Amino acid sequence: MKKLLKNILSITLAASMTLSLAACSQETDGGNNAGNADPAPNNGGGNSGKADKIVLWTLSNDLKQFAERYTNETGNEVEVVVFDSADFKTKINQTLGTKSTDVDVFVGEPQMLPDFFEAGFSADLSVFDSQVKSRLVDYTYQAGLDSDGVLRAISYQACPGSVIYRRDIAEKVFGTDDPEEIGKLFASFDEIENTAAKLQAEGYTIFGDTGALRWFSNSSSPWVKNNEIIVDQDRLDYFDCAVELYQKEYVAFAPEWSAAWYASMAGPLPMHAEWSALDEVSDNSQTEVFSYVMPSWGALIVRDNAGDNTGKYGVCSGVCSFFGGGTFLTVNEFSKHKDAAMQFIEYCTLNDDTARWWLTASKGDVVSNKAVLEENKDFKNESFGNQNTYGFFLEEMDNIDYGLITAYDDACKDAFGAAIISVQKGEKTKEEALKEFYTVVITQYPELKIPENAPINN
Amino acid sequence: MAVNVKNSTAQSKLTDNVKQGSVKPQKGPMKRLVKYGLIFCIPFVAVFLIFSVYPVFRTFQMSFMNYKGFGKETFIWFDNYARVFKDTLFWDAFLNTLKMWGVNIVLQLGLALLLTIIFNDMKYRMRGLGMFRALFYLPNLIACTSVAFLFKTLLDWKFGSVNQLLLASGIISQPVNWLTGEGLTAQMVVGVVGAWMWFGNSFIMLMAGVQGIERSYFEAAIIDGAGRWTIFTKITMPLLRPIMLYVAVTSLIGGLQLFDLPYLLSGTKGEPGRSLYTAVFYLYDTAFKNNQMGYAAALAFVLFLIISVFCGIAFKLMNRKEED
Repeated sequence: MKKLLKNILSITLAASMTLSLAACSQETDGGNNAGNADPAPNNGGGNSGKADKIVLWTLSNDLKQFAERYTNETGNEVEVVVFDSADFKTKINQTLGTKSTDVDVFVGEPQMLPDFFEAGFSADLSVFDSQVKSRLVDYTYQAGLDSDGVLRAISYQACPGSVIYRRDIAEKVFGTDDPEEIGKLFASFDEIENTAAKLQAEGYTIFGDTGALRWFSNSSSPWVKNNEIIVDQDRLDYFDCAVELYQKEYVAFAPEWSAAWYASMAGPLPMHAEWSALDEVSDNSQTEVFSYVMPSWGALIVRDNAGDNTGKYGVCSGVCSFFGGGTFLTVNEFSKHKDAAMQFIEYCTLNDDTARWWLTASKGDVVSNKAVLEENKDFKNESFGNQNTYGFFLEEMDNIDYGLITAYDDACKDAFGAAIISVQKGEKTKEEALKEFYTVVITQYPELKIPENAPINN
Repeated sequence: MAVNVKNSTAQSKLTDNVKQGSVKPQKGPMKRLVKYGLIFCIPFVAVFLIFSVYPVFRTFQMSFMNYKGFGKETFIWFDNYARVFKDTLFWDAFLNTLKMWGVNIVLQLGLALLLTIIFNDMKYRMRGLGMFRALFYLPNLIACTSVAFLFKTLLDWKFGSVNQLLLASGIISQPVNWLTGEGLTAQMVVGVVGAWMWFGNSFIMLMAGVQGIERSYFEAAIIDGAGRWTIFTKITMPLLRPIMLYVAVTSLIGGLQLFDLPYLLSGTKGEPGRSLYTAVFYLYDTAFKNNQMGYAAALAFVLFLIISVFCGIAFKLMNRKEED
């Protein structure tokens, strides 16, 4: 009798636990993980023409606006999850490494994409290949191709770079604020040094700090070619220029993203503020920063922090055309809702109306859609002295050579930047710093070699 | 000691009885209880196997692979290990780690020992041991991020309180660039901050060690006319040696894995001039920035071997002294 009672009790407990677990799992499917649920009961199937709900993992809030508009227009739901950029790549690697179906669409910046492609996380988007090739800016098309030339990511955005300069200072020091003319002052590293000296004589500094020059480090050759690390004359000029600007105090010593750097966009700032709060360095001598080198999203940062200088800025080209960042959309290879995911990507990237809407909604972001940019190339941008900024960026993007980008760029740029800093601070000679640069890169990537004509061998 | 002898005698008797068959193995209710004991162990064993044992074996396996953390894994025999021995960045980083740990352990143990002597000296009759113990241990309870932020602010070369104080008191005429100037200065700073964080822990260990020494030894020494220094060198130090070894070995294990403090006090590359770039800092960059998981796994195992060798040497030295 006692045994029977025990058995009954055990069965009851086991059943209650099982059922409660089942209940939990049902709740999960209907809630957080709706993307995995069977599409039929979830969305009414294909009869209504409505696509499955998809889950999007992204790095910024921009795509929330896209998703909202998409849902309003199509009725299809998109759940947007925004991650911190520092953890994003690890999160994708960990999640998709287990072939998870929790996410349908995820984003990546150009430097992340080759790893995602190689890992097999990104689905084939070749169905859009001809459209992307013909309708979007070329470098964004190139960045979305894997090593076999298969399209796996598409961007709604383009991020060409520019020199963003103060028109009032240009007029005062150089007698003109014409972008063509000012561009000539930034055409080479030698010109930059001359320009910096002239600005200093008038009490101005050319940049916030010498980090601005890093955007020009891909001016003529890739960092790695045939497994050899390339430090050509342009890179040596960049090195010398960065050291000279620092040692002659041609820059304000206000590093990018510091409080002083933001403040410099609106007016005078104390020299050598570094990362300090401005009131702490208010006794230092004052200066004004003439220019910033940044991709198109940087121009928006300058515009938004310009304060009394709003409308006094202009954009021009520098040593070379470049790009930086940009949000690319890609479909999870393991997604159960690939069609719905592709439909969303097509809406965000290849729909002209979406591009037109984003141009206005973002208040100045540069879209990848060439036709829409062409339509707006004569648009006079009040924040930049009525300059035709879209027209300027369109021309700049034509000059971007995506062939110069390699998987080793980040490591090479970091090590080269560290070498420059060590010479700027007098810790090393140029030769020692260059030797360390090669050592650092080769130690990290043993497959690379130092070419015979490397500057340290001369 | 006497209790231990009693226990071991009782245990050997029990073993003999079991062998001779005079004690029968447990049956009935006791046997069922043993079963429950095993069941209760399952959660711990499962968690231990999944989160401790499996990662170690997986890391070991990965150390023989060319693996980016995703995609294909290729077996490459000992290539990763061969690379470690040629990797100047790793050995430089390891040397940095040793320097920072060296400063740390000397200060940490020295300060803890000094305080232990003061608090145990009958002449001083120090009061408030409990309060001081809590105060000394407090830095160990503060999150490393907060400690790093605190010292970054205090040691700022322009506005930091330390430089302001030293300048005002005339000890220095120019502000010292503690964290952004000379590499060696920055390494010393990390060592000192580490010692500040951990000396309370060592102090508690050493105090427990000293209080475990029979009081009669000290009383006998005093009666025999031994001075303070003789008591310290002939009684306290020799009997404290096992505890000091424990503190040194645990500090070594933690010290060679130093990462958070230098990472937070420097920029992202161990500045100034890579002087704060530690072995684990390099391992982290290799695994998560350069996507070389296989090589990072080999680095981890080499570091594990180095720590084992250091610990082995420390134990060997200790045992030899005890035998002497």
